[in-house]
Amino acid sequence: MEAEQLLSGLRQSALDRIAAAASLDDLEPLRVEVLGRNGALAGVSKDFKKLTPEDRARIGKLLNEVKQAVESAFEARKAGFETAALNARLDAEWLDLTLPASGVRPGALHPVTRIQREIEELFVSLGFTVLDGPEVETEVNNFDALNIPPTHPARDMQDTFWLEGGNLLRTHTSPVQVRGMRKLGPPLRMIAPGRVFRNEEVDASHEHTFYQLEGMMIDRDVSVTNLIYFMKTLLSSIFKREVTVRLRPGYFPFVEPGFELDIQCLICGGPGCPVCKHSGWVELLPCGLVHPNVLQMSGIDPKEWNGFAFGLGLTRLAMMRYQIDDIRQLQGGDLRFLNQFTA
Amino acid sequence: MKFSYQWISSLVDGLGNVVEPRELMRLITMKTAECEGLEEAGALLANATPAEVLVVEPIEGSHNRKAVVRTIAYGEKTVVCGAANCRVGLWTMYAPIGIKKISGVESDGMLASGRELGINRDHEGILELSKPELGLQPDWVIEVDNKSLTHRPDLWGHYGMAREVSAITGKPLRDPVDMALLPAASAEPVKRVAIGDFTLCPRYSGLVFENVTVQPSPLWLQYRLEAAGLNPINNIVDVTNYVLAELAQPMHAFDADKLRGDTIFVRNAGNGEKIVALNKEEYELDDTNLVIADAGGAIAIAGVIGGDESAIGDGTTRIVLESACFNATSVRKTAAKIKNRTDASMRFEKSQDPENTVRGLARAVALLQEVSPGIRLVGGLIDSYQPLPKVAPIVLSTEWVQRKLGHPVAAAEIKRILEALQFGVSNGEQPGEFIVEVPSWRATKDISLREDLVEEIGRMIGYGEMTPTAPLVPSVVPPANPTREFHHHLRDLVAAQGYTEAYNYSFLSDETIAEFGLAAQQPIRVLNPIASDQAYLRTSLVPRIVNNIRENRKHFETFRLFEIGHEIHRNTEGLPTETPHLAAAFFAKDGDGSAGLFELKRLASCIVPGIEVRPCDALPYEHPARAAELFADGTRVGRLFELHPSMVEAGRAAILDLDLAAAETLSHGRKIQYKPLRRFPTSAFDLSVVTGERTLVGEIEAGLRAYATANVTAIEFQRQYSGPPLAAGQKSVSYRITVGAADRTLSSAEVSAVRDAIIEGMRSRGYELRV
Repeated sequence: MEAEQLLSGLRQSALDRIAAAASLDDLEPLRVEVLGRNGALAGVSKDFKKLTPEDRARIGKLLNEVKQAVESAFEARKAGFETAALNARLDAEWLDLTLPASGVRPGALHPVTRIQREIEELFVSLGFTVLDGPEVETEVNNFDALNIPPTHPARDMQDTFWLEGGNLLRTHTSPVQVRGMRKLGPPLRMIAPGRVFRNEEVDASHEHTFYQLEGMMIDRDVSVTNLIYFMKTLLSSIFKREVTVRLRPGYFPFVEPGFELDIQCLICGGPGCPVCKHSGWVELLPCGLVHPNVLQMSGIDPKEWNGFAFGLGLTRLAMMRYQIDDIRQLQGGDLRFLNQFTA
Repeated sequence: MKFSYQWISSLVDGLGNVVEPRELMRLITMKTAECEGLEEAGALLANATPAEVLVVEPIEGSHNRKAVVRTIAYGEKTVVCGAANCRVGLWTMYAPIGIKKISGVESDGMLASGRELGINRDHEGILELSKPELGLQPDWVIEVDNKSLTHRPDLWGHYGMAREVSAITGKPLRDPVDMALLPAASAEPVKRVAIGDFTLCPRYSGLVFENVTVQPSPLWLQYRLEAAGLNPINNIVDVTNYVLAELAQPMHAFDADKLRGDTIFVRNAGNGEKIVALNKEEYELDDTNLVIADAGGAIAIAGVIGGDESAIGDGTTRIVLESACFNATSVRKTAAKIKNRTDASMRFEKSQDPENTVRGLARAVALLQEVSPGIRLVGGLIDSYQPLPKVAPIVLSTEWVQRKLGHPVAAAEIKRILEALQFGVSNGEQPGEFIVEVPSWRATKDISLREDLVEEIGRMIGYGEMTPTAPLVPSVVPPANPTREFHHHLRDLVAAQGYTEAYNYSFLSDETIAEFGLAAQQPIRVLNPIASDQAYLRTSLVPRIVNNIRENRKHFETFRLFEIGHEIHRNTEGLPTETPHLAAAFFAKDGDGSAGLFELKRLASCIVPGIEVRPCDALPYEHPARAAELFADGTRVGRLFELHPSMVEAGRAAILDLDLAAAETLSHGRKIQYKPLRRFPTSAFDLSVVTGERTLVGEIEAGLRAYATANVTAIEFQRQYSGPPLAAGQKSVSYRITVGAADRTLSSAEVSAVRDAIIEGMRSRGYELRV
């Protein structure tokens, strides 16, 4: 019975001490003292050989019970200390995540870049290639090859920057049509965004430097209704809603027939407002079927091929999209303006 | 171009009360030409009534007077009137505009001037009527965009627009011209015409009149001219302007008694020949300008403006009426040269119809008989004419028109539309095929191809009637544009690094070229700049970027910006070379400037991997000790520098200027080749090189690489240090060198051999090594 009393005492004192431990540091010596190789419980088992087999079985069972009880109390207490320590550490690591992020904030892309890319992506998805042309052009590419001979009054319509050496700053992106036709030949689906120049005074609504996007499709049978289809698709995509368009006659020497395309005013929806000058419509892009002379001059047989062409004012579109009221902002390089277009 | 609704209505039967002005404007916009505005003319006429002045009394202390008038519509009224010509017995116009106290007297309505009524521009006094009726109603003026009439000589007159309106509405067109009024063909003209070059003047027609009375035109005629935006002058000039506005035929009246000789010459001006025009300006001409001349010299600048000497005056009793057709280009150039674009020249430069000259004269005869009673024709028709080459009839098939429009249109409809526009239409050989004759007023340049006829048919059907249709074409992947994709990628990359994209002009000024020392690059000159800052094309993006820095510095302490644009460089022949460049700038008010330079160096290496910086001689706008060229694979790709401190106030600006053509080639040339991961451990050792403070780290590293064997896998810069215990002017640069082999672990002896070789090599270059 001694052994039983001893074990029961050991058990009680060990559980009491575990409960009373103040820290992980108090706990470890206790483990060594009670559960260790030379600990109290090990001492009890050393005396086993003195016991009768019956006692041995009974005491052995009891010894295991006590050992398990102490171990489990020890582990639980230890886990408690560790959890508390982790919680204390985590709490001490409180961080104000509303502080500003470190590093540099992203810059912005120019509003014209943004709108131009949207349109490029749309047309590439429709099977159009994107072409580039130089800003300095020959008189031939800018005028003659577009059915604008030297005597044509249309040359008066565009105030051209002339350069020494006889070249000029392109007055429209249309010369890229000529380059595209010569380089790629028919069938052809292309767009050409870029910088163009007109020699005029700058004010809130006029610039000598602005951006256009030229488009052209040449195939066996391209019709006016195909043109209307593409223009509607284009504009619905740009404005992210169904738009109502109207096509009316317009005169441009490089197309025949030529059109002006208007969209129903997105501000008032038709009844008229200051934005549409009370007409209900906003003039957006000139377009038409490519003039046979233009095809011919670029080496394409107009009896076999025909097509449409259009010119979109990217600057104007960007101004509409972002409601920019002064065109000079676009070339002004003022970060107070430009930084508003951060992605 | 201004069109009077009443005038058009007078030429299209049954239009007046059926198609309202606003609807007419919409129809013209949708089917013919863009209308820009609609304005009411003569609004006061709606309620105005003739009135006789019964009593005129002075008002004390005022220049105004009190008048009692008897009006036809409203009985007797008392009004206050300031006009000097307000006198008892005068018939004038009264307008009921309400009761207002003027000069202390209640004025019930007003007596109106010609200008107030919209009849003419006279505001000297109130309108004077010759009889107690006026018969004018308010009109509407439709303004059509001149640009949309560029190709339509016929639409520069009301009759041409009436023809369109007739075709649009299906209402009959009424021709105001009565050719029977011209003299009999047998009558001998009293003047001869000598045309020097029929290409410059295909036709010159004229009539001579006597017993002319020069006086104001009747008010209805003045009202019409006023609506069309033309200033009434006198009956003779007004008739010429009336025909101009109605038939698009410019005319000119000479005082016959002031002409010398009996031949009218149409010839080139002599170089330096001078003429004083109707506007009293003296113009000096040259032999590219066409003039009308008599035996004594030039009497008009052909198609542009008449001469002052032979102008109609109050005493004129005999006139020569000119109705001619001049070459469009010649007139355009002359008007541009003398900087006077007149109503006549604007029409001639659209290529007018030579058939129209005699129609204009016939119309003028009718009008002159009305405005100058007793006027008489003298002699026969003066007419010198060499017809232009005829436009061949156009063969047009219905099937082809349908394909072009993508819209089913019946053959009968095509015929109806073309005939409504007065084309001659006859059946061709095939069913549904037509032979189309182009009328003379459309044949001067507008219409010669079947495509031109598609436009006529399409616009008259109305494009709104057509259903948008996707084309049936093969689906193909479009050819790529790697350059554009590269630039797009760069924009995204650079913006993500904190740089904001700016767009700058392609121009440089003289001052900028001097300031940045760009003269040696010989920028291409603009021949006709409007402003001095557009004088040259940019050979560098840097000057405009520096301008961006200077402007934004006023608002921000630190900022980053960039531009992608073309440098434009002169070639001896052909087009210039346009090189895309990226210019990026970092500005900071504080700091020693190194942060910006190293940030931009990092940016450059993001764009062109393996970029190498080689310090170089600075350009005039660069900091002389902080300028470098950038190389990759031995190719020069750009510059990195700090802006010269004298170029920017209170702060430092670092600038990166990259040649994107070179950068693109390098980034495309880069092939990525996978290497298996190392299976054997590497080992590393550190080396410090002690050297002079201004020795380039890049040179030290190049030295280390030169002595590194194949087993060296990495040479990494650790830090540089100067200060004690190093001697003044010395620095220590530390590297970690990693060695390893693909097939085994290197022995310590092998590692030592690598290390010793590097140390020995570096020492042989004169470096001191700390190991």
